[in-house]
Amino acid sequence: MPAVKVTTRTRRPAGAKREMKRGPDTARIAVVGIPASGKTTYFRFLSGHFGLNLPILYIPARVDNGTMPLYGDLENDVALEETTYETTDPTDPEGSLETTTRYYVNRPMEDRRKLWVELSAGREDQGILTKYPLPTKFNQFVEMKLRFRYGAADGDAGSRPMELQTIDEAGGIIADYFTYDRLWLDSTDAEVSEKSCRVIPHFDSWRPDRRDLWRRGLTLLGRFVQEADAIILLLAPGLPSLRDQAQQVNLARGVFRYVRARNLPLVIAISKSDKLNEFYGEVEQSVRDRTFRSAFDPVDFLLRRDGAGMGTILVAQEGRGISVKEDVYLIASAVSTGEGHPLFIGETGQEAPTSGTTTLGVPVMVNTTLPLARACERILALRATKGS
Amino acid sequence: MLLLDLSKSMLAPLPDSENGSSVERQKIEVARTAVFQILQDAVNASSLFGLVTFTETVRVPVPLGEIHRENLPYIENLIALLQPSGRSAIWDALAVGADLLRSGTNGVRGNLVLVTDGWDNASTRFDVRAKPDAALGAGRVDLVPYVLPANSKVTLRIIGIGSGAERDKGVDVGRMGQFLEQMNGRASSLGLPAAFTFQEVTTGGQLFAQMVNAFVDVGYDDDAPIEDLHPEELARHAANAARALKEPQQHATVAKIHAGAPASRADPDTTFSEAPDLEVDVVATATHGGAPISLKERYGPLGEVIEAYQAGDFDTALQLIGRTQGVVPPVTRLYWEARIQYARRAIVEAARALLQAWTEAEKLPPATQARILRRLALLQARMQNDKETETLVRFIDETEHRLGNGDPKGRERLMDLFTKLMELRGTYQLTQLAGEGDLQDAALKHEAAVEEVFGLLQDARLDLSSSGSVVEGALDFIEICLAEMR
Repeated sequence: MPAVKVTTRTRRPAGAKREMKRGPDTARIAVVGIPASGKTTYFRFLSGHFGLNLPILYIPARVDNGTMPLYGDLENDVALEETTYETTDPTDPEGSLETTTRYYVNRPMEDRRKLWVELSAGREDQGILTKYPLPTKFNQFVEMKLRFRYGAADGDAGSRPMELQTIDEAGGIIADYFTYDRLWLDSTDAEVSEKSCRVIPHFDSWRPDRRDLWRRGLTLLGRFVQEADAIILLLAPGLPSLRDQAQQVNLARGVFRYVRARNLPLVIAISKSDKLNEFYGEVEQSVRDRTFRSAFDPVDFLLRRDGAGMGTILVAQEGRGISVKEDVYLIASAVSTGEGHPLFIGETGQEAPTSGTTTLGVPVMVNTTLPLARACERILALRATKGS
Repeated sequence: MLLLDLSKSMLAPLPDSENGSSVERQKIEVARTAVFQILQDAVNASSLFGLVTFTETVRVPVPLGEIHRENLPYIENLIALLQPSGRSAIWDALAVGADLLRSGTNGVRGNLVLVTDGWDNASTRFDVRAKPDAALGAGRVDLVPYVLPANSKVTLRIIGIGSGAERDKGVDVGRMGQFLEQMNGRASSLGLPAAFTFQEVTTGGQLFAQMVNAFVDVGYDDDAPIEDLHPEELARHAANAARALKEPQQHATVAKIHAGAPASRADPDTTFSEAPDLEVDVVATATHGGAPISLKERYGPLGEVIEAYQAGDFDTALQLIGRTQGVVPPVTRLYWEARIQYARRAIVEAARALLQAWTEAEKLPPATQARILRRLALLQARMQNDKETETLVRFIDETEHRLGNGDPKGRERLMDLFTKLMELRGTYQLTQLAGEGDLQDAALKHEAAVEEVFGLLQDARLDLSSSGSVVEGALDFIEICLAEMR
């Protein structure tokens, strides 16, 4: 079984430029969400899934036992590519912008434990996996690209190359871009102007280098969503801060406006759903008892019990580019020994002991691939319609 | 248009108040101070103002127009230099005032305020008949049809200084009565609204109160200035305020208010009302921005009431407010009665007075009504311990107040945004009341309404980005409220 080895090193000689294989018919899916909505975890777990086939639960359980036509990109040795944009010196207004690219490549996994431990750890302990060299959101952002295929396991027999893209460590930039439609770009070579940035609250009072970085981030995001064939919107439930809640609702409204204006497929993933009490119960039972068949109704939950405070908004969007029943998913990506996460089981399916020898946790994804597969499906359906 | 008597008798002293005060000020001094206040209010409200003075001669020191802040010092200097002398050409002055408000075939449109202490003894062109069918002097023009031609919309307030029972001690009450009677008769025959009043004042305080005609309020001691709020506190306030919009049953007071921008560039067609204009002023409390120099000096009898209230002497304040009947506008008097009673913990009496104040407020012209309704709503919210409504009203009110000296267009734009935000109550309520089948339609309408306001908000951000922290704070507040209205 091919596996994903997450590394910062490349197999090529130092200094050699890595050639990205991106065909003309590669479909691009943009993942957007506010800070801490789960973008990083979404990319990391999915890249793990393509190599490791990490366990995925579907709630309610799928009748096909979870078969999903998503595969690692075997033609391309790069599974995940991260490019960090950072100012050289955050205190220097004249400081230039530097970029560093990090590649996560496909290769047989040498130490399975290591990957699991790295994936399972909290953000502080994940080291190079999620901790970027300068962990401040004010002087850097990271462009992430995950390559995979949709359709069939065999690359030559009907599967399509796909690319999942986001700007990590930049939920604020994403939220601003979609919230304020006066920032939107209409071509892939356009730039977000300094003047239009004033639509962002208090923009003029920011430090010059932050303003510049933010404008660059908005431009980069604007260009790649301009090229995107679909958007996955990550929504985090139960945000403690009112400002974060407001930011998320504004982002969601902006994304709805954006996809409607451009006729783009949109899929919504309510991430970190294991934090929702009712859903947690279903996840826990499904983890403990693989024969459990949940009758949980995500649509009813989202619309009537307000999973992410989006009930009215979702109802308003029904039939206007999205179907709440088919395009909105509750997802969770967590591991057994994560910080207070509910999935307290060991590899054998038993509850992890709280003392004694450290037991490795099991990375578990709940519905994580569903929004991705749905986005792919809708892209292909749209292309087929256009083709016909 | 303010028509001010500058005859020599205006130099005579006038007792400051009725209650045995030995302090006396010249009538012209009191009138001048009042004119300064009126001017300031006109600038703040961007409304039109004009001044006509008269002795034997009628002059127009300040032609009718919008007063720009930068011109204020020159106009104030001009007014300070006005010195009384000679006699009074009252009828000629009224005719000139009417001419300044005349607009072609639309007749005379606007508000005339005449301040005089005497009898007409110098008019040369105009006269008032002793009776409707009595003859006029040779070569004289009948003032009544001149001031009130067909299609007019004009209010006239006459403030007479001193008792008119005796010649040269005050206004000729008999002649004024004849004049007003004929004005009312003509208005009736032409089918026009009759808004003509005469008020006699005998003290400096009363004169000031009549001229300024103010609704004065002071903040509450526990108010924290909004611009000092931490962003997260601001967000919490906005979320609280949004709750007042989302839950009308629990926050019924909100239904009574509207953000309404003050009418600028007063258009007689839209701002006309039989009720006189009422200037609204919210004075900073001692704890926030320092006490004003002298409330009594500034607002006459009402200032005395507020001074007693602020000193915690509620019984005296209640006595004083009782004496202002006929001097200060009813809505002001009833509001202060409610406020004092509330401070005395006499809740039933406070509620009764406030209810009457709401009734009086409904009669006010739109230009001043919005702000006064908000002050009433604020008191009602406090009486009902309705924090959400209080937060919403305070934010709107303080924003308008703090932008008083700013760009009128920017202020109007913000107040318009507040109005639109409040209108979202309607579409939001439909999403809550709609049945299963209608829910999507209601949600769609609500989302479309939210998006429209959000578009306006973005444009306001781009256009007002350098307008300071008050504007930024207001825009942040509206943005968070919009996010909450989901």
